Amino acid sequence: MQLDSAPRPAPVRARLRAAACLLLASSIPGARAAAAATTQFDASGLLYGELDRAKVVEPTLRVMRLLDNGQSFSAGLVLDAITGASPSGAMPTGRAMTTTSASGTVTNHAPGEIPTSPFSDFRGALELGWHQPLGGIVATDLVTHYSREKDYQSIGGTAALSLDLMQRLTSVTVGGGYDYDNVFPVNGVPVGLSPVVAGTGGPPDEGPTNASAVTAAAATGGTSAAVKQVPSAVVGVSRILTRRWMVSLNASRIVQRGYLTEPYKIVSVIDPDSGTTVGSITEQRPTTRDRRDLLANSVYHFGTGVFYSSYRYYWDDWGVRSHTIDLKYRRDLAEETFFQPHVRLYAQTAADFFRFGVVQGEPLPTYASSDYRLGPLRSVTLGGTYGFHVPDYPGELTVRAEYILQWGDGHPSDAVGVQRTLDLMPPLHIATVMVGYTRTF
Amino acid sequence: MMTRSRVLWLLLLTLLAPLVGGCAATSVKPWDRDLLAQKSMRFVPLPMESAIDQHIYFSKEGSMGGQEAGGGGCGCN
Amino acid sequence: MRFRFAIPLLSMLAVVVLPFALPATAATSTQAPAFRLPDRDGGTVALDSLAAKVVLIDFWASWCEPCRKSFPWLSSLYQRYGSKGLVIVAINLDKSREPAESFLSKYPAPFRVAFDPAGKTAEQFHVRAMPTSFVLDDHRTILLTHPGFDPKKTDAIETLVREACEK
Repeated sequence: MQLDSAPRPAPVRARLRAAACLLLASSIPGARAAAAATTQFDASGLLYGELDRAKVVEPTLRVMRLLDNGQSFSAGLVLDAITGASPSGAMPTGRAMTTTSASGTVTNHAPGEIPTSPFSDFRGALELGWHQPLGGIVATDLVTHYSREKDYQSIGGTAALSLDLMQRLTSVTVGGGYDYDNVFPVNGVPVGLSPVVAGTGGPPDEGPTNASAVTAAAATGGTSAAVKQVPSAVVGVSRILTRRWMVSLNASRIVQRGYLTEPYKIVSVIDPDSGTTVGSITEQRPTTRDRRDLLANSVYHFGTGVFYSSYRYYWDDWGVRSHTIDLKYRRDLAEETFFQPHVRLYAQTAADFFRFGVVQGEPLPTYASSDYRLGPLRSVTLGGTYGFHVPDYPGELTVRAEYILQWGDGHPSDAVGVQRTLDLMPPLHIATVMVGYTRTF
Repeated sequence: MMTRSRVLWLLLLTLLAPLVGGCAATSVKPWDRDLLAQKSMRFVPLPMESAIDQHIYFSKEGSMGGQEAGGGGCGCN
Repeated sequence: MRFRFAIPLLSMLAVVVLPFALPATAATSTQAPAFRLPDRDGGTVALDSLAAKVVLIDFWASWCEPCRKSFPWLSSLYQRYGSKGLVIVAINLDKSREPAESFLSKYPAPFRVAFDPAGKTAEQFHVRAMPTSFVLDDHRTILLTHPGFDPKKTDAIETLVREACEK
C-alpha cells in the first residue's frame, strides 16, 4: 500500500480558515494575585505494572517559586526505571516459541502467547519553566526540557502566550514548541523491511519457529544514529459560562520528521497456507507524521462536588484516528479531603500500514509495522483518587489506584492459516498506584 | 472540497464564536465567582497526576497528548 | 512545517482581542448610589446617614485572595484616620454569613461591615473586580475607584483620604 507522502499545498481559503480557527483554549488559569512570594513543592511516585509485561517505577519532583509580581519559575525532574517485556511485533504461531532480544537475551513463549522481548531502561527528564505576566491581561510561558535514556535523547522547548479577556471570563492561549530528538539504538539503526538474523529455538523437528528481534545492524547495513525533529503548535480558548461551569476548546498539531520507525520491532513473514512464521523483517514507518487533535473540556461545580469531562478527537496522516472520553467526579468529603472516581474510554483505528505480519511471496509494502500501539486498539481505565491531609502536618496528600484494560481487534478478516485460531491482540491488564504530596511554603 | 479536517475546522469555528463573544452584561458577575475561586475549579486540578497520565497513555497508544505544545520526550510513540 | 499562516493568524488574533483588551474608560465623577444594608449587629448601615468627611466603600468576599491583603491595610488606614473623619464600610458579597464570619475572625475589621448577599448594591456600583474600593467625599461623589487590590495604589488612596480629612 502506497502512502502519498508529498504534501499538497493548501489553498488560501483553507489557510485563512485555519488561521481564524487557531484561537483556542487555554489550560492556564487566569492570573491570580499573589499575596506574597511562595514556594510550592510537589512530589509523586508512580508504580506501574502490566501483567506479564513491563513494570515501571517513576518518581517525580517539582518545585515552583511564585513571586508577588506574578512571575514564577519552576523546575521538575522525572526518573523512570522500566523493566519487563514488550511485544516484539512478531506473530504467535500456535506453537511454543523463543525470542532473542537486541542484546541477546532469549525468552520462551507458550503456544499462542504474543512473543515479547525483554528490556530494561532508565530515563531521566528535566524541565525548567518560566511564567511572566505582562500587564494585567497578557502572560507568557516558556518551558525547556531535556530527557535521556539508553538509546534516546530529546531536547526541546515550548513558548505560549495567554490573554485574559472580559474580566478574565475568557482566556485565549497560543503556543508553539520544537523538539530535537536523537535515536541511537543498541545495535545501530536498522534498514527497514530487511530480513532479521533468525535465531534458533523450539523443537528441532518443527523447523524455524521463533522470531528474533534485531540482533545485528551490521547485517542490515544501517547507521548508528538518527534524528527526529518535531515542531508543534497549540491554541485554546477557555470560557466561564456560569457561576458553576467553565469550558475550553483546544486544538493542537504536531509534525514529526525524521526517523519514526521502532528500531527494535519486527514484522513476521507468514507462510501463506499455514500462517506460521517463516522469518522476520524489520519495520518501516514513514519519515513524516502530521498529527492533530481537538480537545473539549468541561468543569461543572454541583455544590457537593465537581464534575470534569473531556472529549478528544485525534487524527493523523498515518490513518490513526481516535476518540478519548475522560470523566472524573471530585466529591468533597471534609476540609481538604476528597474522593475522585475516574473513568476513561479510548478507541483508535489502525494505521494504514499496520498489519499482522507480511505474507511470504507477496510484494513487500512500502511501510509495515506490527506494533500493536498502531493497531485497532481499545482501552478502558477505572480508578479513583483519594485526597487528604494529615492533621497538624502541612501539605496535602493524594493516593490513586487505577486499572487499565487494553485490547484490540485481534481477529482480522485477512488472517492466514493458524492465525485465524489465535487472538492476535489479546487483552493487556495494567494496574497503577500513585502517591502524591504537595506543600506550599 | 470538504475533507474531514476542513469539516472539523468549520465545526471549531462555529463552536468558537459563542465562546469568544458574549457581552459583559449577561456574563458571570465578579461577586458570583465564589465557586470558581476554589482550587478544584481548574481544567487540570491535579497537574502531577495529569502529567503522569499523559506519559502513560502517550507511551501505550497511537495518539498524542491533548494539551501540551511539544512532542514526547521518550520516543515511545 | 511552514507557519505560513502566522501573519494572518496574528492579525486575526489582534482583531478579535483588541476590543476586549482596551482598558475600560476611567469613571468620570458620579454620585454613588444610596444603599441601606444589614450590618453585623442586627442593625443597618445606610450611606446617607454616615456622618463623615470621606467614606471608603470596599466590596469583598471570603473567597477573594487579595482581600487577605486588603483587610490589614484597611484596618491600619482606619486606625489612623477613623477619628479624623474617615468611615469605612466593607460590604460583604458572600452568599451566606458563615464564610464571611470565618474570614473576619482571621482578619479582624474594626470598621463597619455590611452584607449584600444578592449583590444588588455591587451591581449599582458597577463592581467589575473583586475586591473593589470606592473613595467618596461628603457629598457622595466618587473620587476614586480601585478595582482589585494593588499594593502600589494604596499610597494614592491614603493621600486622598488625608487631604479630605484635613478640610
